[in-house]
Amino acid sequence: MDIRFEKVSYVYQPNTPFESRALYDIDLEIKEGSYTALVGHTGSGKSTLLQHLNVLLKPTEGVVNIGDRKITPETDNKNLKPVRKKVGIVFQFPEAQLFEETVAKDIAFGPQNFGVSTEEALELAKKNLALVGLDESYLERSPFELSGGQMRRVAIAGVLAMEPEVLVLDEPTAGLDPLGRKEMMEMFWRLHKEENITIVLVTHLMDDVANFADFVYVLEKGQVIEGGSPQVVFQKVDWLKEKQLGVPQATDFAEKMQTNGTHFAHLPLTAEELADWIVEEGAKNRG
Amino acid sequence: MDPRAKLAGSFYFIAIAFLANSWPSFLFLGAVAISGVLLSKIDLRFFLKGVRPLIWLIIFTVALQMLFTRGGTIYWSWGIFSLSQYGVQNGLFIFCRFMLIIFTSTLVTLTTPPLSMSDAIESLLNPLKKIHVPVHEIALMLSIALRFVPTLMDETEKIMNAQRARGVDFGAGSIIQKIKAIVPLLIPLFVSSFNRAEELATAMEARGYRGGEGRTKYRRLKWGRNDSILVVIFAIVTVGLLFLRKT
Repeated sequence: MDIRFEKVSYVYQPNTPFESRALYDIDLEIKEGSYTALVGHTGSGKSTLLQHLNVLLKPTEGVVNIGDRKITPETDNKNLKPVRKKVGIVFQFPEAQLFEETVAKDIAFGPQNFGVSTEEALELAKKNLALVGLDESYLERSPFELSGGQMRRVAIAGVLAMEPEVLVLDEPTAGLDPLGRKEMMEMFWRLHKEENITIVLVTHLMDDVANFADFVYVLEKGQVIEGGSPQVVFQKVDWLKEKQLGVPQATDFAEKMQTNGTHFAHLPLTAEELADWIVEEGAKNRG
Repeated sequence: MDPRAKLAGSFYFIAIAFLANSWPSFLFLGAVAISGVLLSKIDLRFFLKGVRPLIWLIIFTVALQMLFTRGGTIYWSWGIFSLSQYGVQNGLFIFCRFMLIIFTSTLVTLTTPPLSMSDAIESLLNPLKKIHVPVHEIALMLSIALRFVPTLMDETEKIMNAQRARGVDFGAGSIIQKIKAIVPLLIPLFVSSFNRAEELATAMEARGYRGGEGRTKYRRLKWGRNDSILVVIFAIVTVGLLFLRKT
């Protein structure tokens, strides 16, 4: 299911003294099966944009195409459930959305809202809890007894249980320890590869973009100012630094090597790429 | 202006609005209120918006007064209902009183930042310390509560969005369905409020907060010339009102 934005603008509280514009003429495309990253400063419109992905907000101008649904400013608020089922959003700090008395019920809540029977929903809960790396002993516990990281996993399982085709992640690893962060990102990567889930990732961590994404959009002040594959976008090191967005660590390191006289045909994005390059060069010099 | 003067002044004004009982006195008070509104330079639409939520209450009371007061010339009557001269007059008076009260309270809330409002309440309640009212605690509670209104509103919206993304339909279906839909919103809000309260208490204690005794203040209220002028104006208004009252 492709998602396409055509000249989308969004204004908060139009025609009041508190009017403020969050998005200007956004054109972007999230292809089926892709892993798209959205980067940009706080307040650049990322959160507003991602709320358009499952019609929590409707554009003030323009069209959002979600699969074969066209969302325009005039779209009715009814019959949006099918869209919301297909596009699951994991908001920032999703542990805040837990409320049921057991983990199982909480995960089953989403599917049940979309008409899945209770037994099936509980089955889904079991399956998705395993997917996020918690064993069955957690099913009957209260979500409020768990640690922050475990709560986060339960909340994410709750979104996954709706079996969305597109998974939107708003800084899913914010506030997690390094190991939790790594496990979480690898779990999403597995889902992306194995279940062919389209992923939209909003993040400040350029290394995550370099490691996982195959497309990246850069937002500034409500506009898309750059879009392309990370390999292309991260070549503009100076431009990105000027925008105070930074580049992946490996790219930064390679850039410093370049100022010292080393030549790269193409700046590496990940530590592995950089290591490969060094090994190759070393072999060449020896040989 | 000093928020104490504004707060006390508005209460006083509302109190004397009940003293008015003739057309000249209402016109006089109305003129005072309108000039206050004009001086504030605030768009009139905001004041009319303030009336909107109370419109049914106003219509109800006015109608009650109009239909059930007897006396004077009776214009129209049907069973226990009657439209009499006094009834119409009383109804209109009550309407004017409502308008005066709403306008002044809107004026105060629109022109005073919430924090100075709570400072004003603390300082006006100060005399109650004599009868062991925990004034400082009340003021602290008020200012913290006000401080967290926007935060909580933000959070409510976030949780609402998260639950909507999980398929909850807020505001749809029958009343029972609507109430059920609120549960996934309320429980997380309660939980986060408890957590927040605990964290806030720890943070305050860690910074040396020990409660009322010996506590200093950062925001001091200053009584200026304008505030004294307000007192004088209100004294004149009171005298004028007593003069215009029908005895």
